[in-house]
Amino acid sequence: MLAVILLLVAAGTWGAVQQIDYQWRWNRVPQYFAYVAEEAQKTPFDGKVVAIVEKGENALVTVASEGSEKVELTVTDNTLKVSEGEDLFAGDTVGFSKSWRLGPLMFGLWTTLWLSAVSSVFGLFLGLITGLARVSKNFTLRGIAIIYVECIRGTPLLVQIFIAYFFLGTVFDLSRNVCGVGALALFAGAYVAEIVRAGIQSISKGQTEAARSLGMTKFQTMWDIVLPQAFKRILPPLSGQFISLIKDSSLVSVIAITDLTKSGKEIITSTFATFEIWIVVAAMYLLVTSILSQLVFYMERRLAVSD
Amino acid sequence: MIKAENVVKIFPGHSGVVRAVDGVSTEVARGEVVVIIGPSGSGKSTFLRCINGLEAFTEGHIIIDGVDLADRKTNINKVRAEVGMVFQQFNLFPHKTVLENLTLAQCRVRKRSKKEAEEKGRMLLRKVGIHEKADEYPSRLSGGQQQRVAIARALAMDPKIMLFDEPTSALDPEMVGEVLDVMKQLAREGMTMMVVTHEMGFAREVADRVIFMDEGKVVEVGTPEHFFTSPREERAKLFLKQVL
Repeated sequence: MLAVILLLVAAGTWGAVQQIDYQWRWNRVPQYFAYVAEEAQKTPFDGKVVAIVEKGENALVTVASEGSEKVELTVTDNTLKVSEGEDLFAGDTVGFSKSWRLGPLMFGLWTTLWLSAVSSVFGLFLGLITGLARVSKNFTLRGIAIIYVECIRGTPLLVQIFIAYFFLGTVFDLSRNVCGVGALALFAGAYVAEIVRAGIQSISKGQTEAARSLGMTKFQTMWDIVLPQAFKRILPPLSGQFISLIKDSSLVSVIAITDLTKSGKEIITSTFATFEIWIVVAAMYLLVTSILSQLVFYMERRLAVSD
Repeated sequence: MIKAENVVKIFPGHSGVVRAVDGVSTEVARGEVVVIIGPSGSGKSTFLRCINGLEAFTEGHIIIDGVDLADRKTNINKVRAEVGMVFQQFNLFPHKTVLENLTLAQCRVRKRSKKEAEEKGRMLLRKVGIHEKADEYPSRLSGGQQQRVAIARALAMDPKIMLFDEPTSALDPEMVGEVLDVMKQLAREGMTMMVVTHEMGFAREVADRVIFMDEGKVVEVGTPEHFFTSPREERAKLFLKQVL
């Protein structure tokens, strides 16, 4: 049944796409993951080719000047443009060296990954502190935590990013990366705080009482008894929050951080392969989030030993 | 050893205040086993919880080994380390193995080395008869076994006093015996104990003194022999008629 539905959806999409005039150019996509860069190797001075040594696919060209200057250039064999004994002037191209380079999609993916990872770490830390403040008996701490959580949850992330960049970034002279990470971390922190609070409150009071009755301090009780149990319970919602964060990180492209989304947008302006690139970008997000959920699933099973 | 003077605990309720513990005074000597009985809601558990500071009392003094709990300067954690507590719901730490349950507080509070704590833990598990379950998680144990682990966990701190808050009330009937046996053994070894329980047989056999509480007040105090055969107070007579 599932297969039939999926087939129908695929066929329907296929049919609809056929109706419009769109030229699919999938062959243009791979070069944005990785491509072969050709770099011209030029002699820096006037001189003579004194030796060409073959090394597999490459050739090592040695150029010597009339003085005693010497330079060795490595070029790909089939792009070799000189022969032994030839006279060269400064700036003449000896040949081209080829090497694999990562394309903008990979750089964008990398930016998205580190941006999400750094914001997650800060967000988790912030959320833990705020969550603890939220359940504390101290009125001031609790008040600050509530105001923070309500402000963040009540405003759109896009607006927060704009405020972080255009207002805070200007006032405190922050780079766009700091603003982007900061906005994402603050955003994630507020949601993590609520998850942490719910987790802590779900642990029965008896656990705290038992630990305190053994003479453990409040801090020891929280750290050794309550938090480990709460963490196990909040792992599924917490992982959901971090998966959201990876996806939400696409919004930082509005402040010109070249993440995966922004890279996609840039590639489209030069290729017009709109459909293909957005589909590929979506697939890359999906890949990252699936890997993360698998990881969490594995952790959950590991933690289930004491059940 | 323990001296309670006119202890009052007031809970704010929906319809006025509830005087859960209402002017209780008593003294427990070293090595004495005191059993507190009474109908539910009589404040006996609340009184017991006041003794190790789980419940902050409103008025009065509780003096343990010369340290007054009502004094603001008292470090409650130090007092608690000397007062073991066993709960109705066991409250074992589910994410730690049985042995880790016993060693954690020893390492954190008593600052013992891991090796020393484990030796002590295994010795106590042997004493309560569940040595072979040391590396299991509490969820794999029966209720009676869990409660025995909880007793061992409290004993691992070398407490001067043990408090038992209805330790057998959450157990299946066939498991009550094994827990009571451990408690009887403790009493024989000279441990100072305060026990809130509904096990009249235990009270009769082990207690040096029985305190009968009702509506937050101590109604009658006496030896088990006196209390179970010829109680003076009407309320005590009525209670005994209902439970025996």
